[in-house]
Amino acid sequence: MALELKDYNSTTLPTWCPGCGNFAIHTALKKALIELNIEPSEALISFDIGCNGNGADTVGTYAFKGLHGRSIAVASGVHLANRKFTVIADIGDGGCFHEGLDHLVNAIKSNYDITILIHNNQNFALTTGQATVTTPKGKKMYAQPHGSPERNLDVDSFILNLHPTFFAKAYSGDPLQLTEIIKKGIQHKGCSVINISQSCPTYNREMTPQWFKENIIKLDTLPEYSSNSMEAAKELLETANKTKKIYTGIIFQDTTIPTFYDNLHSRKGIISELAEEVKEYNIKELLKYTNS
Amino acid sequence: MYLSRTVIKFGGESGQGINTVGRMLTQSLNRLGLFTFSNREYPSLIKGGVASYQVDVRDKEIYASGKKTNILCTLSEKALHTYIYDLLENGIIIHDGNEIELNQDEEIFVQKNNIQIIYLDSVKVALEAGGIEIMANVVLLGYIWKILKQDVNILIEEVLELLEGKKIDIEAEKACIVAGYSHPSYRNTLGEDIELPSKSLQRKLLMTGNEAVALGALAGGVRAYYGYPMTPATSIQKFLGETADETKILVKQAENEITAALMALGSMYMGTRVLVATSGGGFDLMTETLSCAGISETPLVIVLAQRIGAGTGVPTWTGSGDISVATKGGHGDYPRCVISISDINSAFELTQKAFNIADKYQLPVIILTEKQIAESIYSTSSLPPIQKVDRGLSTGEFRYQITESGISPRWMPTKGLKPYISTSDEHTENGHSTDVADEVKEMSEKRARKMQTLEQEIPEPILFGSENAEAIFIGSGSTKNAVLDAQSTGENIAYLSYEYILPLKTGTLLKLAEKGKRMILIENNQTGQLGNLIREKCSYEFKEKLLKYDGRPFFVDDILDYLNK
Repeated sequence: MALELKDYNSTTLPTWCPGCGNFAIHTALKKALIELNIEPSEALISFDIGCNGNGADTVGTYAFKGLHGRSIAVASGVHLANRKFTVIADIGDGGCFHEGLDHLVNAIKSNYDITILIHNNQNFALTTGQATVTTPKGKKMYAQPHGSPERNLDVDSFILNLHPTFFAKAYSGDPLQLTEIIKKGIQHKGCSVINISQSCPTYNREMTPQWFKENIIKLDTLPEYSSNSMEAAKELLETANKTKKIYTGIIFQDTTIPTFYDNLHSRKGIISELAEEVKEYNIKELLKYTNS
Repeated sequence: MYLSRTVIKFGGESGQGINTVGRMLTQSLNRLGLFTFSNREYPSLIKGGVASYQVDVRDKEIYASGKKTNILCTLSEKALHTYIYDLLENGIIIHDGNEIELNQDEEIFVQKNNIQIIYLDSVKVALEAGGIEIMANVVLLGYIWKILKQDVNILIEEVLELLEGKKIDIEAEKACIVAGYSHPSYRNTLGEDIELPSKSLQRKLLMTGNEAVALGALAGGVRAYYGYPMTPATSIQKFLGETADETKILVKQAENEITAALMALGSMYMGTRVLVATSGGGFDLMTETLSCAGISETPLVIVLAQRIGAGTGVPTWTGSGDISVATKGGHGDYPRCVISISDINSAFELTQKAFNIADKYQLPVIILTEKQIAESIYSTSSLPPIQKVDRGLSTGEFRYQITESGISPRWMPTKGLKPYISTSDEHTENGHSTDVADEVKEMSEKRARKMQTLEQEIPEPILFGSENAEAIFIGSGSTKNAVLDAQSTGENIAYLSYEYILPLKTGTLLKLAEKGKRMILIENNQTGQLGNLIREKCSYEFKEKLLKYDGRPFFVDDILDYLNK
């Protein structure tokens, strides 16, 4: 029986604001899973705390909703325990770049085979609109009547400079392209980071669909662009910074770097998963290694 | 004989190799079939300072050190000055190097106690015997072996076995041992009163508490270790990492303790077993995850290896001041189990039980250990039998189904089985978040019932000794070893050992208290944290408390001094 969108839904309805980018991101993710023929019981979504995490109840896959900023760490553990599962880490820009930045950096370093979806709406929305590292400087945010006193950072260049094995940018208002990018991210063997510009009609009103339309350049329209070149990717982000444009598509991909698990000496040649190996073990042969 | 034992202590700077020579001596005594307890004291630095390696030898199991020593072998002048007063009457100092000027107090002490000092330039002896500088340590071993009046061939065999696989000159190594053993400075009066107990020549198992925890974890089906280095937990990772090619487990040094705990949460959710180990500061970082494991009912096992002090404290010294944070750390009300190990046998057995409890009751379990247990080298005839792996897995309609026992069905995420969400939000039976008053109350009460069910399963604390003993010590962790050591010297005392600290059982304790005997709380912390938990549970207030919080473990002498006070 063919899989349908409803198979990936629970009976609980979303609670997001009308026009929230999360609707499209979640739909695109479910569509990607369908198109890759990944059943709901073969996928796990690790949720952050925040507006994106409020979608946890609406999915019909396995899910874990843990702590703010920590969905990547949980997803890493899930992946290592059972690599048969497709593992998605959902996280907001606040959780990803503030509370849990260490997890992003180290997941990229370790190159776990997981897909990280950054729901980047440029603010902490669920706590009613505080500034994040992606909020433009000077913008009036919660408890900041004179505007955010800090500059915003170029998170894309930051990520790219960590040499992720898969890095893409996408936009919640273009769910078809987003679906394709998520599919590529899931298919990529390694840590896929997708920074999704997410519309937030409540706390980021400046960035209207019209604004995105005028400022997004899809990489499909640049046929000469190659995502295999780090140099080209860096140049692209430099141009994006200068021209204040957002490029969407796969910015960079490197398929030559093995995953953490594949690099493990102790797991070479083992077919079973850690989750399948729990039983009593005889430790007699290990006694010779004590008091070493 | 000093408290039924013979004690040999090495002192020197960190980096001088006293661990190597101490380990060689421990192994060689083990080859004789003797029981040993070896304890290391060392500063938190790589080179310099003063460090020691003490071996207590006996004809039966011994799990605590004495304060005094028969033989002190020093490799630095500072070590000699530091440990000289630890010597017993007729004690022997073997100082590696030139003659040292003792101060007036030291001179008086040496005279009064008839202490003999040997100055031995072990490097020179090694070189003259045809060895190289590094062989100086076996020269010292040879010398000590002679004082202990043992067969040099056994020492040679053992040392060569220990050095197997290393590039060594066997003949030179032998020559150096013999050169130490037959050194002309030896005289018959040395160690006249030292007599090693009769020996069985039956080798014992030698291991540290951390190694026993690691072995227990492996026996219990642990397939991964996630951690971040912190003394005294770190050597668990060492053992698991170095044996991983054989055990095929996954060992991951995470970027911090928060990650280690969360990765474990993810992996345990998926149905494998992961060990996590840390010390106080790292545990603090894990407490949010602990709370998350509690409400999401995800099994989690964390070893909390305690050292003394708040903050960084005294990082390489022992204590048990984290009982409070283990039992209370993390926000909100949630069920958990706290277990305290006391030696290698309990470490091996209780680590396995911890995983069964975590799986079956779907809650976090904290295994308390201490630097004193973690890094001391114990000897034992055999480890307890391997426990059956009990996972309590079952499928059901709802992941968080309300039940009388509090235990809901939990199944391993598997293709084809009904997907579910585990969540740190308060939730309904199907895991969806709720803020409906009745649902919030009902679900948190369901979780709380798991504690009652668990309390029925776990045993009462174990009484070592007679309930009619003159004094009963009550404690957990390594305090047991010093008390039992004192008991074996003939004291009419008993020890009530709390292995399960949460849920806490007080039936046996109250029954003993009714008898009107001396009830003495013994703890390696400043505030009597176990005692506070007991008072909280049953209003019992200890009149007598023996608390030690200077970073040192309880020595058998501490117990005897207290009783004779």
